[in-house]
Amino acid sequence: MISADIAIVLPEVFLAVYAMAALLYAVYTTKDKAAPALLWATAAVFAAVAIWIGLSGGPVQTAFGGAFVDDGFARFSKVVILLSASAVLLMSEGYLAKRDLLRFEYPVLIVLAVVGMMMMVSAGDLMALYMGLELQSLALYVVASLRRDSVKSTEAGLKYFVLGALSSGLLLYGASLTYGFAGTTLFSGIVQTAQGGQLPLGLLFGLAFIAAGLAFKVSAVPFHMWTPDVYEGSPTPVTAFFATAPKVAAMGLFARVVHDAFGGAVGDWSQIIALLSVASMFLGAIAAIGQTNIKRLMAYSSIAHMGFALMGLASGTEAGVQAMLIYMAIYVTMNIGTFAFIIGMEKDGRPVRDIRALSLYSKTDPTGALALLVLMFSLAGVPPMVGFFGKLSVLAAAVDGGLAWLAVAGVIASVIGAFYYLRIVYFMYFGEETEALDKNGSPILWIFLMGSAAAMVFGVFNLFGVDTAAALAAETLVR
Amino acid sequence: MEFLLAITIGVMVAAAVYLMLARNVLRFIFGLILISNAANLAIFTAGRLTPGAPPLIKEGAYAPAEGVANALPQALVLTAIVIGFGLFAFALVLVYRAYTTLGTLYSDEMDAAEPKGPAQ
Amino acid sequence: MAAGHDEAKGNGFVGWLPVLLSAGIFAFFLQFLPQIAAGDTLRVEWAWAPSLGVALSFLVDGLSLTFALLISGIGTFVLLYSNSYLAGHPQYGRFALYLFSFMLSMLGLVLSDNLIGLFVFWELTTLTSYLLIGFDNESPKARRSALQALLLTGAGGLAMLAGLILLGAVGGSFEISQLVPQAEAIKGSGLYVPILILILAGTFTKSAQVPFHFWLPNAMAAPTPVSAFLHSATMVKAGVYLMARLHPVLSGTELWFWTLTIFGAVTAVFTSVLSLRQDDLKQALAYSTLMALGTLTMLLAPSSGYAITAFATFLVVHSLYKAALFLVVGCVDHGTGTRDADLLGGLARFMPFTAFTAALAGLSMAGLPPFIGYIGKELIYANTITAGDAATFVTVMALAANALMFAVAGVVALRPFWGKRGDTPLEPHEAPWPMLAGPMVLALLGLAFGLMPLLAEVNFTTPTVAAILGDAEKAKHLHLWAGVNTELMLSLATFAIGGLLLALYRPVRRFLEAADAATPSFDNGWDNILDALYRAAKWQTGILQSGNLQRYLFTIFATFVVAVGGTLLLKDAVNLGVALDDMNSPRHWPELVLIVAAALVTASSRSRMLAVAALGVQGIAVALIFISFGAPDVAITQLLVETLVVVLVAVAMLSLPFLDERGKNDRRPKDMVLAVLCGVVVSAVLIGVLQGPLDLRLTDFFETTAAPEAFGRNIVNVILVDFRAIDTFGEIAVIVVAALSAYALLRTTDSSRDRDEEEEELS
Repeated sequence: MISADIAIVLPEVFLAVYAMAALLYAVYTTKDKAAPALLWATAAVFAAVAIWIGLSGGPVQTAFGGAFVDDGFARFSKVVILLSASAVLLMSEGYLAKRDLLRFEYPVLIVLAVVGMMMMVSAGDLMALYMGLELQSLALYVVASLRRDSVKSTEAGLKYFVLGALSSGLLLYGASLTYGFAGTTLFSGIVQTAQGGQLPLGLLFGLAFIAAGLAFKVSAVPFHMWTPDVYEGSPTPVTAFFATAPKVAAMGLFARVVHDAFGGAVGDWSQIIALLSVASMFLGAIAAIGQTNIKRLMAYSSIAHMGFALMGLASGTEAGVQAMLIYMAIYVTMNIGTFAFIIGMEKDGRPVRDIRALSLYSKTDPTGALALLVLMFSLAGVPPMVGFFGKLSVLAAAVDGGLAWLAVAGVIASVIGAFYYLRIVYFMYFGEETEALDKNGSPILWIFLMGSAAAMVFGVFNLFGVDTAAALAAETLVR
Repeated sequence: MEFLLAITIGVMVAAAVYLMLARNVLRFIFGLILISNAANLAIFTAGRLTPGAPPLIKEGAYAPAEGVANALPQALVLTAIVIGFGLFAFALVLVYRAYTTLGTLYSDEMDAAEPKGPAQ
Repeated sequence: MAAGHDEAKGNGFVGWLPVLLSAGIFAFFLQFLPQIAAGDTLRVEWAWAPSLGVALSFLVDGLSLTFALLISGIGTFVLLYSNSYLAGHPQYGRFALYLFSFMLSMLGLVLSDNLIGLFVFWELTTLTSYLLIGFDNESPKARRSALQALLLTGAGGLAMLAGLILLGAVGGSFEISQLVPQAEAIKGSGLYVPILILILAGTFTKSAQVPFHFWLPNAMAAPTPVSAFLHSATMVKAGVYLMARLHPVLSGTELWFWTLTIFGAVTAVFTSVLSLRQDDLKQALAYSTLMALGTLTMLLAPSSGYAITAFATFLVVHSLYKAALFLVVGCVDHGTGTRDADLLGGLARFMPFTAFTAALAGLSMAGLPPFIGYIGKELIYANTITAGDAATFVTVMALAANALMFAVAGVVALRPFWGKRGDTPLEPHEAPWPMLAGPMVLALLGLAFGLMPLLAEVNFTTPTVAAILGDAEKAKHLHLWAGVNTELMLSLATFAIGGLLLALYRPVRRFLEAADAATPSFDNGWDNILDALYRAAKWQTGILQSGNLQRYLFTIFATFVVAVGGTLLLKDAVNLGVALDDMNSPRHWPELVLIVAAALVTASSRSRMLAVAALGVQGIAVALIFISFGAPDVAITQLLVETLVVVLVAVAMLSLPFLDERGKNDRRPKDMVLAVLCGVVVSAVLIGVLQGPLDLRLTDFFETTAAPEAFGRNIVNVILVDFRAIDTFGEIAVIVVAALSAYALLRTTDSSRDRDEEEEELS
């Protein structure tokens, strides 16, 4: 029993063991001097595990009495999580090294966070869910305050922790209510008591609290408050990390809980998620308009994007889950490119975060400006960039799921949202003369920026097959 | 008994929320400890209470005697306690760190990351 | 425009290649003409993103072919013209690339049969036009108008996307050709009204109907060939095209009829008045384009043969004369250095070919025989007098708009060339042939179609009518002389009023300028809307994102109380009677009282030590509860952890300040109310849950399998290490992370505070 179980969680166990080994190695040898090598090794391990998981097919398997589920959905999410984490790690090296922040615990914490995320998307049980979430969150609290001597960074870490701990509390309380009603913490057991459309009140509250806890992790309104402060206060590569892998994990977990545990009562949670979705889209879009700090802007942008991803989930259908997965994969790709650009924004070697500093950037660096233009249009959802197809798939899923009002609201929100992305483009091409930014010097950042922009353009031909993969993944979740 | 405990838990939550809303983040930590205890009790209570017998299986038997306590919530609470402790230990360090960096424990004085909007 | 680059050098290969390519495209489409005229249609399809229902499918029928020929034909001449107009411009390659991409997007738009494909091309035209309008990006005006055009048409386009998706959902397909048979079902659906409103929001912004008209004249900051192409012949007609394309699916309702009639008519008259007011010739043409767009919209309102034939005819008429006139104005600008109507006069002597072209195009615009413009105008009147309920209204509006157009034609095409010679910045000189060829051919075509109306009828108008109404029989004939009838009388009235306006041009314009100055401007309204949006964003952020942690927490708790408490009250789910019965078992009162008292002391204490001690007491009381109810393992762990907690807090206290450092009284009544409400809600929900029976299947499973399968006697331990090893694995990982985190945070570092401040200073 146990050895079969271990075989199923082998990637997670492997990563955890890797983290311990890396930790011991660094502690007993050169400590921080080992950090760059550790960082590269970790990125490589992530990529390798992603390939490993991506290539391993097979039927749905469960381990530990159903507490851990390995299915197409989990594999899809894990591949996206691992690849984005790998990319962000590589992007962070230069920035952190330059600022003396490249310590050995950074890659180790990222590995542990990723293990947590992988447990989250594979969770088949409320306690496993809680565990994965806490593992991820704890590691993230620390990396948020990585710059220990920085006021903003410490403050960001503290705020993130306070609100995060609260959301964990809500989640735990929801889990206890659910357990108190269903007599089991296994999703497969809960789903049997939650049949027939209308949830009993105890389960409804359990669901609501769990949803609130998860909403915090995906930074959906009204649990989004930490996002702008933490995005701004954290070191930029950490912000890039926040914007990518944890979002995928939290969305994946959200989808898993509502479908695996509450799949019998779509009507009940569909409304809750639709409300989260519409509030996030609008608040994100409107609040971003007033921002001049590009990191805060990206924070609101991510809130709005999560609103769109939730729209797919709200539809409660297989097509909705597929759309959500497509959306997340595209979202992560766009964000990696955008943050590669932001990390490289410097004037005379010092970081600049004001979007007005981008004025006439197209003259300093026409290629970089063009790439950012593509990414901004894609983030705004303007066709023919790939971002449009993400929006289209969630909109279509919402209409199919009978949520036409939500789709219309989403489009209106994206009209408002388009404004601030286009304003960045406007500054780059038509802004007024200011002191020019430095040209992006790091080849790694340049590669990610160009790769992401190219993906947004060339992906229009077949979306790199993501839609097919997402369809297969969604199939295993919604049965 | 379950219902009395439910009310007790409510009081713990009320006290915890009040603490969490305080300006001083140390109070927030007190609130955190209280609320995690309340959550543990809630899980325990949700498994229904059986006075007395712990969930042990006697030598030679294949199943526990009738009327032993529900084992599952105990396992869950154990997990939650351990995690809660991890969280708490980290929180304490974080607060200490914040105090040495920011020089204050008052969360309303932590406003470096804020836009100076009209609400200020 | 001409300054700053070497005209003599030309653009070489980069200049000629796009001309040849677009001529080739024109020829390619020309070959379909006989087939389409014979009543056939062609359709090709490639899969694109099949899982999303998106395909690249193209439909060639009368409507799309007419558009395709206008786009590629005028495109060829515009590229030829630009090659001279921007000769030697250092960035001509970029310009030609934008223009050519724009042309391809426009072709994709009119040929696409898939709604989503159409939308993709639609937004591509928005994008490329943004780049074209902003091409001359040195001037602040160009920048502002580029942004304005993009935001307005982009917003409209996205609204339209919502409409298209709804339409696809209701009709069951994104292929327009498959939606046509579903027309009745779509019109009967409850979503018809939102679909129509959303789609019209897109078409009205793109085709610049009042009140969205202001972006178009502003966009005239673009180079003249761009204006000629985008803002008269093609892009702005995309909205009109889509309304025509969806006419079979959406028309025929009162809502459709009146919306299009009123918006179209008001746009036509309002903008033709504004057109006469302009002193810049290009601006006058821009406003007259709006008049044409209004008229076309108005003509799409009914479903009669007259209306659609008039639509098809006027579409061709307008594209021919308007592109020609724009290019002529470009020639005048190029040759004299100004476009100011007051400075120009007597140019015919210096620019005879330009003057000749202008006259031909102007006569067609004025609607004089024997030009096709005359036929178009006759058909418009034929439609308006048969328009049923709306006949009087639309006839009067059409008469007013046409008369004003007559006058504008005179101002643009005649006044600059005849009469007294004006005072121009440059010595007037004729334009080179590549700049003249296009306008002249287009203007001559206007005459040719007028003399041989059958040519236009067979090739363009009848196939277009067949595409829109589904029946070629409904098309009306085009002829110059239809006998003495009401239309002729209306035409004569048009000429009379128009001639009068032209004769009184100066006083009329002064009057209009005064009137215009006295009315609020739409353009300022736009700026105000943008400002308001900024302010709203700032305000919202200030309220919701104050940065104050307590406010965040307060919001979250309040949301919790309202949402959960509200649901509880609504569903009336809690039976408090059961809870009260429960009070009778006094055995565990001491623990409970201890917990409550300790919690309250912790909450209210102003002394840290007392608070910590109370916390400890509370923890021990919780452990006692665990012991009392058969959970000794849990109780031991709880005791252990609680002791550690108290010790750790006590240690931390040594280096942390007192709770109320500044001796302030920390009473917070508002928080207290919220806290109590939270407690009440939590208790109530828990009681609600506990009222139900518990499903013990999983517990039973563990109890019966613990010994046989996992060889354990302590069921809790068995669950933790065997059945739920994943939890334990996670637990260990969490503790490791916590330890590592603590270590990471406590590591002493060399301070680099100054670096951080640098960043803050810049950001």
